[in-house]
Amino acid sequence: MKNQKTVSVKKTEVKTGTKNSVGALPSSAKFELQKVSFYYQGFQALKDVSLTLKDRQVTAFIGPSGCGKSTLLRMLNRIYELYPGQYATGKILFDGQNILGRTVDVNRLRKSVGMVFQKPSPFPMSIFDNVAFGIRLYHKYSASELEGRVETALRKTGLWEEVKDKLKQSGNSLSGGQQQRVCIARAIAIQPSVLLLDEPTSALDPISTQRIEELVAELKTDYCIAIVTHNMRQAARVSDYTAFLYQGELIEFDTNEKIFTQPRLKQTEDYITGRIG
Amino acid sequence: MTAIITSLTSLYFRRRLFDGLVKIFAWSAVIFAAAVLLFVLGMLFVKGLEGISFQLFTHSTSPAGTKGGLANAMVGSLIITFGAVAIGAPAGILAGTYLAEYGRGKKLSGAIRFANDILLSSPSIIIGLFIYTIAVAPLKHFSAWSGSVALAIITLPVVLRTTEDMLLMVPNALREAAAALGATKWRVIILICYRSARQGIINGMLLAVARISGETAPLIFTSLGNQNWSLDIAAPMAALPIVIYNYARSPYEDQIQLAWSGALLITVAILLLNIVAKMLGGQNRR
Repeated sequence: MKNQKTVSVKKTEVKTGTKNSVGALPSSAKFELQKVSFYYQGFQALKDVSLTLKDRQVTAFIGPSGCGKSTLLRMLNRIYELYPGQYATGKILFDGQNILGRTVDVNRLRKSVGMVFQKPSPFPMSIFDNVAFGIRLYHKYSASELEGRVETALRKTGLWEEVKDKLKQSGNSLSGGQQQRVCIARAIAIQPSVLLLDEPTSALDPISTQRIEELVAELKTDYCIAIVTHNMRQAARVSDYTAFLYQGELIEFDTNEKIFTQPRLKQTEDYITGRIG
Repeated sequence: MTAIITSLTSLYFRRRLFDGLVKIFAWSAVIFAAAVLLFVLGMLFVKGLEGISFQLFTHSTSPAGTKGGLANAMVGSLIITFGAVAIGAPAGILAGTYLAEYGRGKKLSGAIRFANDILLSSPSIIIGLFIYTIAVAPLKHFSAWSGSVALAIITLPVVLRTTEDMLLMVPNALREAAAALGATKWRVIILICYRSARQGIINGMLLAVARISGETAPLIFTSLGNQNWSLDIAAPMAALPIVIYNYARSPYEDQIQLAWSGALLITVAILLLNIVAKMLGGQNRR
């Protein structure tokens, strides 16, 4: 498989482990939001948001509760459509194609855009079946091929050594941090090109949080990553770009250095220094 | 100062007295309820066990004076009940799935739920009469399958309700996580929601079986009962509740004994089903 090969090439890059190699990669636009608004039950949750998510970069969304940061993330794989009465306007280009169009196959979109949620959500099945769940939706692999794919995904999340002897155990038997990493493994097992992380560490202890943050840094060599967090230090630690939202509007969007050292707007500075929110 | 203390103490004693009285009433109510249940069960076991023999399971009911068994009624009950579950449970599960997964917040769902609640509490004799009118009278003969249909109508609302309740307990986070992997809605339902709610749904089916296995009224209008061994579902078929109903009023000792034994068998079967359901439910919670 072609994809498999590129993955293994990149893995060696991770091992040699220089952050510069990441910067050297061409970072083209993965997602391009053009004047996107979002409504649910008559309430406008996002107002004319325009920004670009670059490939192989981490973009963080910060802002006080209810500012629309999770809403923004949930538009990128159109997961909001599970609930009636919610809709988006504007354009969201994913690899140049507008995903808000009616003819878009959302299931194919979601195959390319993986998502991990706030609360670890292992399915009520074994660890192996959890990771294999997505793979089985798309491929009819032989048992050994499937095992290989599951192992690769678990290795990428650094879980393999911890769970290789208990793959048949229920996903719920793991700790919260391990469950969250199973969820990440489950998402990357189907080889998406984007990972959406919706406050992935807010339910975890500091050590698990650190592990997930390290994982994000490793994974960005392969994926475009968007992370929602209410923790500004986390945003500063893990991301390359940060977007600050407030009451449904995109207030400021820039590289991390800019946002966290010399924000353009006072509002951003106030939030980052803890004066509002 | 003293006045306050005396008034407080008298209030305190009144409250304690009232508390004691309530406790006594509650306890006597519990003892009364338990005593009735134990008396019924004890009587059933004493009278029923007398008639339990090998022959009970090998012989069919026979004319008074000759020694018979309950084999035809037991097998008949099993067949009719199985038929009822085979018809009623899938319909109930699918309808419950509609309410929990597709019809949330829709007006139609409210109407279905309301109709289902009425069906849940409608008298079984009316359901029997209804099936008699549409499936027995026009064909001019009683049949085992019409009995199954009548019992299926009693199964349906029970299964529907438990299925909906169990599916609503599946956290939305799981549905979102599965959908986010690109799973289509029906796959999310089958692979995730049913799997999470499986034990509860099975539980609901077991309780429905327990409920219908003692029903008599619907069967009197439909499968009628049969003195002889019969496996033909288009013909009248024996069933335990009907045997009990007919033989308990009989002047003959041996028929009355068969009624007692049949009652004991049904009770033990229902008891077992409830215990199994409880155990499965317990596992689910853990």
